[in-house]
Amino acid sequence: MELKRTSLYQNHLNQNAKMAPFAGFEMPLQYTSPKEEALAVRNKLGMFDVSHMGEFFVEGKQAVQFLDYLLTNDFGSLGVGKAIYSPLCRDNGTMIDDLIAYHISPEKILICVNASNIEKDWNWMQLQIKKFDCTLTDKSSEYSLIALQGPEAERTLKSLNLHKAVTLPYYGVIEDKYQETAIIIARTGYTGEDGFELFCPHQVINKLWEELLQYGAVPCGLVARDVLRIEVCFPLYGNELSDELNPLDSALKWTVKLSKNNFLGKKAIEEYKAKFRLIKLSIDKGIPREGYAVENSSQAIIGKITSGTLSPVLNKGVALALIDRSLFPADKKFFIKVRKNSIEGTYHKKPFLTGGHK
Amino acid sequence: MTAKVLDHLKYTVDHDWILIENDILTIGITDFAQASLGDIVFVELPEVGSSFSAGDAFGVVESIKSVTDLHIPISGEIIEINEQISDEPELCNKAPFESWLIKVKPSSSSEIEALISAENYKKHCNSIE
Repeated sequence: MELKRTSLYQNHLNQNAKMAPFAGFEMPLQYTSPKEEALAVRNKLGMFDVSHMGEFFVEGKQAVQFLDYLLTNDFGSLGVGKAIYSPLCRDNGTMIDDLIAYHISPEKILICVNASNIEKDWNWMQLQIKKFDCTLTDKSSEYSLIALQGPEAERTLKSLNLHKAVTLPYYGVIEDKYQETAIIIARTGYTGEDGFELFCPHQVINKLWEELLQYGAVPCGLVARDVLRIEVCFPLYGNELSDELNPLDSALKWTVKLSKNNFLGKKAIEEYKAKFRLIKLSIDKGIPREGYAVENSSQAIIGKITSGTLSPVLNKGVALALIDRSLFPADKKFFIKVRKNSIEGTYHKKPFLTGGHK
Repeated sequence: MTAKVLDHLKYTVDHDWILIENDILTIGITDFAQASLGDIVFVELPEVGSSFSAGDAFGVVESIKSVTDLHIPISGEIIEINEQISDEPELCNKAPFESWLIKVKPSSSSEIEALISAENYKKHCNSIE
């Protein structure tokens, strides 16, 4: 199967990006180095082409009711101009995807989904929307998306005369115009820093990328993106979340609002006894990688690393791990099997970094 | 990319460089290797005194995205390892030919003859670029 290319493909080549297949697209893995790019986001400003992600629009009288039923998190109380993160669950409580839903206007909602799950999410939502007076449109092929992340994001948008965005609170969303074209800007991101996600029609995305470059935004690839989200302990579907896991297994209890009247998966999640616990571990030397076993003090396997990397900020190996609840060690000691060695990990209660988001 | 190649060293197709001094072989990774690996963030070296056969994995080089085995070009015993590299793995990127990894006492001289010359290594690099 031939790989798709985003509208920014040539821009990536111009910046000497190392390209690779991801979710059916040819995407930039890195431009300079993941470490440099990640540090640029934490200290200044970085930008990511995430045009491969999916954009669905829900419009109509019962758009809000539909979203509130579809998601475990409380979309109903959100209000126009706000966005929310939520898993997307089946009746049995397992997770189809995780996503962000943006309440753009009273009867118009944008849902941004993972590139690898576009078809799966579409099929599921089509089924569920039947009872509601609203429409679902897949506009993934009509939108490009740049994530602009870092302490200088706000200042840079000001320079581009995107002043509406500057007034947004964290997780706010607004419609604006760039080059006389309607775009959507949200104060959301996957890095933990202040920043914006700019949903634009293809015809203006190259100009936007070039302008942001001129204002000092550092192009960042998918490897840096993964490093940044692990540092702030954001889950990745396919690693911490899957079709076999319940939100309670993956530290997503906070996204499930059981006080809501009714939503997909409510009963199952209510009655569910979590099988796993998602924990945070760090080691001083080396990288605790996805798939490495996690052991207890007696070297018995109790779980595995779901995501791991070297944090350029902390200069330590940092990882998320799913531990079998029934094997959770009383002494709270965890060892990561790195090739032949069992290295003791430091257990973290809080994310390794919080980042500078508003 | 024109990777740097030093003429007085020997090489392998796996991008190791080898310095032969009397009875001791000093081994590191080449400029070509460090450029393809990207930023090296961790190097795992063997224990001094351990023995390997030609082709065995003697250590590991890690970048953010990958783990790459290092294979020993000749059979022998590890007589010294470069401790500095453990603390500063990035030296392999900055100065690949100064950042030796292991010193080996070889157990076979015929294997040394199988190492390739600088000239042939240059050709090999050009052919795979």
